[in-house]
Amino acid sequence: MAKHNIPEVKADLENTTGIWGMAIDQDLCTGCQACVAACAMENNIAFVGETDAGYGRSLHWLRIEHAFEGEFPEVQTSGFQPVLCQQCGNAPCEPVCPVFASVHSQAQDLNLQVYNRCVGTRYCANNCPYVARVFNMRDYDRPEPLSNQLNPDVTVRRRGIMEKCTFCIQRIHKVEDQAKSEGREVLDGEMQPACAQACPADAIIFGRLDDPESRVSKLAKTGRGSQLFEDLGTLPRVTYLKEEKDYGRLG
Amino acid sequence: MAVLANSATHAHTSEQDHEAHLREEHLMLDPRPRGEMNAMVMESMQTTSWKFWVAAGIMAILVAVCLFYYWGYMIANGLGVAGVNRPIYWGIFLVNTVFWIGISHAGTFVSALLRVFKAEFRRPFTRAAELMTTFGLVQAGLSIFMHMGRVWLSYWLAPYPNQRGLWPNFHSPLAWDFLAINTYLLSSTMYLFLPLIPDLAMARDRSTGWRKTLYRILALGFRGTEGEWTHLRFAMNLFAFAILPVMFSVHTIVSWDFAAAMRPGWSSTIFGPYFVIGALQSGLSAVAMVLIVVRATMKNMKYFIRPEHLDGLGKLMLIISMSWAYFFFNDYMVQWYNGDKWTDALLHFHEEGPLGWMWYAMLIFNVAVPWLTLWNKNWRRNPTLLFTVGLLVNIAMWFERYIIVPTSLSINRFPFTYQFYKPGVEIPLTIGTISFFILLYMLASRLIPLVPVWEVQEGQMAHSLRKFGKETVVTVSDLE
Amino acid sequence: MTEQLSRRDFLKLVGTGAASAAVLTGCGPASRYVTREPYTKMPEYTYNGQSTYYATTCRECAAGCGLVVRTMQGRAIKVEGNKYHPVNLGKTCARGQATLHSLYNPDRIQEPSSHVRGDRDFSTTDWDTATGIVAEALKNPAETAFLLGLAPDHLFDLVSDLCKAIGAPAPLRYGALSLFEARTTLGEASRIVFGKPDLLFFDLGNADVTFSFGANFLETWISPVAYTRGFAQMRRGTNRRGYLVQFEARMSQTAMKADEWAAILPGTEELVAAALGKLVAEQKFGSAPALFEAVDVAQAADAAGLPLETLERYATILAQAQNPLVIPGGAALGQSNGLEIAQVILSLNALLGNLGKPGGVYHSPASPLTNSYRRPASIKEISALIEKLNSGKIKTLIVHGVNPVFELPTSLGFEAALAKVPTVISLASFPDETAILADYVFPDHTGLESWGYQQVSAGTGQTLLSGAQPVVAPYYNTKSTTDVLLAAAAVAGGKAAAALPFKDEIEFIQGKLAGLVGAEGGFFNAADMPSFWAEFQQFGGWWKNDPSLGTPSAASALEKKLTPAAAQPEGDGEFHLLVFPSPILAEAGANKPWLQETPDPTTTVMWNSWLEMNPVTAEELGLTDDDVVRVSSAFGEVEVSVYKVPAIRPEVVAIPFGQGHTAYGRYAENRGANPGKLLGAQINAAGDLAFAGVKVKIEKTGKKRPLSRLEGRTRLEAAENKG
Repeated sequence: MAKHNIPEVKADLENTTGIWGMAIDQDLCTGCQACVAACAMENNIAFVGETDAGYGRSLHWLRIEHAFEGEFPEVQTSGFQPVLCQQCGNAPCEPVCPVFASVHSQAQDLNLQVYNRCVGTRYCANNCPYVARVFNMRDYDRPEPLSNQLNPDVTVRRRGIMEKCTFCIQRIHKVEDQAKSEGREVLDGEMQPACAQACPADAIIFGRLDDPESRVSKLAKTGRGSQLFEDLGTLPRVTYLKEEKDYGRLG
Repeated sequence: MAVLANSATHAHTSEQDHEAHLREEHLMLDPRPRGEMNAMVMESMQTTSWKFWVAAGIMAILVAVCLFYYWGYMIANGLGVAGVNRPIYWGIFLVNTVFWIGISHAGTFVSALLRVFKAEFRRPFTRAAELMTTFGLVQAGLSIFMHMGRVWLSYWLAPYPNQRGLWPNFHSPLAWDFLAINTYLLSSTMYLFLPLIPDLAMARDRSTGWRKTLYRILALGFRGTEGEWTHLRFAMNLFAFAILPVMFSVHTIVSWDFAAAMRPGWSSTIFGPYFVIGALQSGLSAVAMVLIVVRATMKNMKYFIRPEHLDGLGKLMLIISMSWAYFFFNDYMVQWYNGDKWTDALLHFHEEGPLGWMWYAMLIFNVAVPWLTLWNKNWRRNPTLLFTVGLLVNIAMWFERYIIVPTSLSINRFPFTYQFYKPGVEIPLTIGTISFFILLYMLASRLIPLVPVWEVQEGQMAHSLRKFGKETVVTVSDLE
Repeated sequence: MTEQLSRRDFLKLVGTGAASAAVLTGCGPASRYVTREPYTKMPEYTYNGQSTYYATTCRECAAGCGLVVRTMQGRAIKVEGNKYHPVNLGKTCARGQATLHSLYNPDRIQEPSSHVRGDRDFSTTDWDTATGIVAEALKNPAETAFLLGLAPDHLFDLVSDLCKAIGAPAPLRYGALSLFEARTTLGEASRIVFGKPDLLFFDLGNADVTFSFGANFLETWISPVAYTRGFAQMRRGTNRRGYLVQFEARMSQTAMKADEWAAILPGTEELVAAALGKLVAEQKFGSAPALFEAVDVAQAADAAGLPLETLERYATILAQAQNPLVIPGGAALGQSNGLEIAQVILSLNALLGNLGKPGGVYHSPASPLTNSYRRPASIKEISALIEKLNSGKIKTLIVHGVNPVFELPTSLGFEAALAKVPTVISLASFPDETAILADYVFPDHTGLESWGYQQVSAGTGQTLLSGAQPVVAPYYNTKSTTDVLLAAAAVAGGKAAAALPFKDEIEFIQGKLAGLVGAEGGFFNAADMPSFWAEFQQFGGWWKNDPSLGTPSAASALEKKLTPAAAQPEGDGEFHLLVFPSPILAEAGANKPWLQETPDPTTTVMWNSWLEMNPVTAEELGLTDDDVVRVSSAFGEVEVSVYKVPAIRPEVVAIPFGQGHTAYGRYAENRGANPGKLLGAQINAAGDLAFAGVKVKIEKTGKKRPLSRLEGRTRLEAAENKG
């Protein structure tokens, strides 16, 4: 068997920055759902229909949350918050999978979901504090010729399989291979997951966290940045830049 | 020779009456000739009324439709036909798994623990309890397979060498669970089988035809020689001691499926013993229910199963109910006291949510009902009442698991995703597992002696009534 | 076909130009010359395992965003934004992403066909017959009418040329978005105030304070991707973070992103804008100009339902801003006094002195082809057409790119008028309501299979002609409408043939582009048509590198006297009805399954329509979430489920437009309600429908129909229990 170097102690993990990461500027996010649609198109996500979608079975890898607070006329909104797999450095979904379908990639420092390996215990989803995982409850219908649109780089999932955001790992691989063949490092901004690529407000910024000069690293370090449930020690790789409401902030 | 038990010395008008009363009360003091007793057991096994077959037929139909048809339907169509959704990824299948494992607990508890501590009243019903363990575990296993999204690949949970070079993930509580349940199923089946050997040999000697063939094979050529008995006793003793930690570990591990997860309401350090006690709570009640049914429906069973047994079980149920209340309170207290806002939301949801009635019903059936009834000796000895209490406790324990699994999963750290759970095909499948349990039990009652005859006889040999002066005293000799 | 360039020669020709671009490939699969082949026999230019990218233009709305479509083995896989394209700079919206579900929609009309009106069974015919039928229509030009959609422009140009030549009435173009954006009103106001009809360019990106009167520019308004980019730029702010105040009765997605939501009563926009003008003028210049003099500020605030202090505070914010901007949106202009509202708002911009300045209002850049703004038809003009149809003067109606039966308010009676036309030809790709009521359906290619161009009239400061090319070979036996018309013109002969002497669609488009060959200042320069054409396809259009915005001049706008008033709503119901285009589905997204499953940004409802209602109102009416109510106006009624939302005025209810189809494929049919049935016929001075000035009644039906929503209900109910 291959030698594993799974860090056993959390302290080992806490010193790592992660490799790929994302920053989401909630001040810019307009909740337009372009990322949601782009994600579905890129990743062959099935649509489930009205009944199942209403029952909480839609397969969105990315959901945009918001809430109204207060009563008219003092109504506030909590701001749009896109929630996707946080690609935790210390992911709760990984240790609980009995068959290693939810595993950590050492090369990209991402949480992988091995569709072929998944037997559908759904433990990972229960243990995900971000509720970022979705389960194929059925073999969802994709009438011909809609299947022409399927992305050949992404597995089509059948019933009984858990799935989630992958940071478009198929694109990461392509970009990494391209850079390797050209004998260089991946350039900042070269790799764009489907959501960041589509985002009209450019609110989703993707890049390397291990490069302190990358756009995402710099944004993650601004005072506005925070991570979801940092206190859980999951070491998420997505940083949220909080919404600004103050008028006249000097830029 | 040691005096183990001393019957209370009540002021009886006549010593004769007192002695007769003791004999009537205690099976151990009411010996019958071996041949007669053997014949009684054989008779109970072989006397089958049409009512039995009607009941068995209904159960078989229920198993065929509710279990096999609907399971096949679910496998073919996916879990969409069940009620699970996001975020309630675990539903009634896991409720049933935990419930059946709980049921299976009491069998071993009653049998092994009481055997280890030489509690004499156990003797006539150890077998009935052990059968419950095995058949309950079958249902638990089925339920966990129903739960899986791709059940046809469930063998991937087993550690076996394969060309992928992949083992199960031993970090996962589910992998431990899989191993623990399998270990428990194997050891409890062995533990069921070992004490069965002498009775099978007895049955072999007293039957003809296919039964004789069956028992000959199963009895493994047991003839009752001193050497065989020595080995058998040694093996049984070994298993009785060994199976107890397995039993405790199984339900503790089941609880870790929840306790090891970082969810509000689940991440609790006390879940291990809490689940074990919960299992005993439902399991003991189930044993009582089964004994009452067996006593009422099978021939000659009123001789073997007497109010004293119901009385003993009732006392145990009361103690376990008190322990359960203690653990419940402890768990609740710690969860409430830590002040975490999500746990707080969860506790409110339990009590004030749409299933708040279930939470209250759980407390009433689990605590109030046993405490208010089982303190009374006469009520404990009343089969109808004890059956009702057992049923209510079992319902409450099923509710408890329902509250822990789907209801708690409604609440997570993202209020945006809160959902309800509406069971679908889980309902027929639950009926299916219950029917399957009953059917297996019914068939077993036709095929194997439900009462361990040799154990009863052994006990009766050891027990005797002696007079110390005017006092009639029960003495028990240590056979080992 | 001997004189055609073969594919190989074509590739050789363009090779030099295209070689430098590894990603953007400059040539489509030339749908007309290539047929679809089985997997085993790939077209020569595809490599197994290699993606090919084609630049084209999005046809999901008329904004004209540039797309780059990833194809593989002759299949379109993924839509991405064209990063060079001035409108969207590499970005797309959800509708653009889902355009693949147009291409591969399982309910497409696959062949030219005829059928009995209203019948859903189509009988196949062939393209020669189809051409003959269209040619017949062209022979009687006076009795033929064209109704086109807002896109594509090359077809509109062709039909305009054709109609002019043969003496047919000029084609009308319409789309539900043009109704909900009141584009005619905006153009007319621009003409009145600035002297030139125009959709205008609002420089949101450089404004530091923006007041938007119901302009849902983050959703569907005019060019949503461009304006979302502008919004992001405004928020990032060069000097300081831009401030946005949204004036509308319902908190739209755009209002949710605003710093302040001013929930003014519908119809009071003119009063509020004029009051703001008066207050700003008094603060800045000491006195108000004639235009704003007459308004009573306190009364205006009262009528709008805003506290006076709030209005004054807004005025101060506006007056102190360095680069203030006020945007008139569709919901504000869709009032009986919409034109006055638009004039006041544009004049307010003039007062703020932002005309032609960064963060202000500009005239959109000149179109590269014709220097005129080609606005969509107003409802008045559509009504005139409907009258003509009713009178029987029109014998043939040809409909392309629009679904008028669904997209026009039912009260206009288009469906009834359609019955009086002897021949109705639909060129739709999908069996929409109009196609079902047509005699013939001669399906055009979908956007991703089509050649064409779109003249971008808003959203960017650069002169831009966005180019479209097929990214895949046509999937079905469909035919470009341009080609059908060219062939029909040739068959019809006479003036028609003379006006359209083009061999095919490409020749026609190249004819239009001829003027740009060798033009200075372009993104690329090409000396001859083949090179220009190759680069035009490669980059997805032609545009100038430098902005060429015009500075509007409002010479005397502020000097006119005006007595602002509140709009007069139509109908006697107790609730104002606000119909807004669904941000996700817009007018034609309902047949795309992934758009149906994309949650609405404000309510997270999927796959259905809803009625937004304030919880206070709901409680008064004894209603709760998912209760079905009957909403009725003087013109019609619909049944729809209630969605309680605190972010709407209690006297206002809102329904999204986009659902409620009775045809249009399996994903759209019998789903939700069409609020078009409720809209009236009141027309404002510019000829646009006063769609935002309808009052409705609401009745309980006692039924319940749960809405599918992404947001769980448990939290809501828990919150209610607490409250």
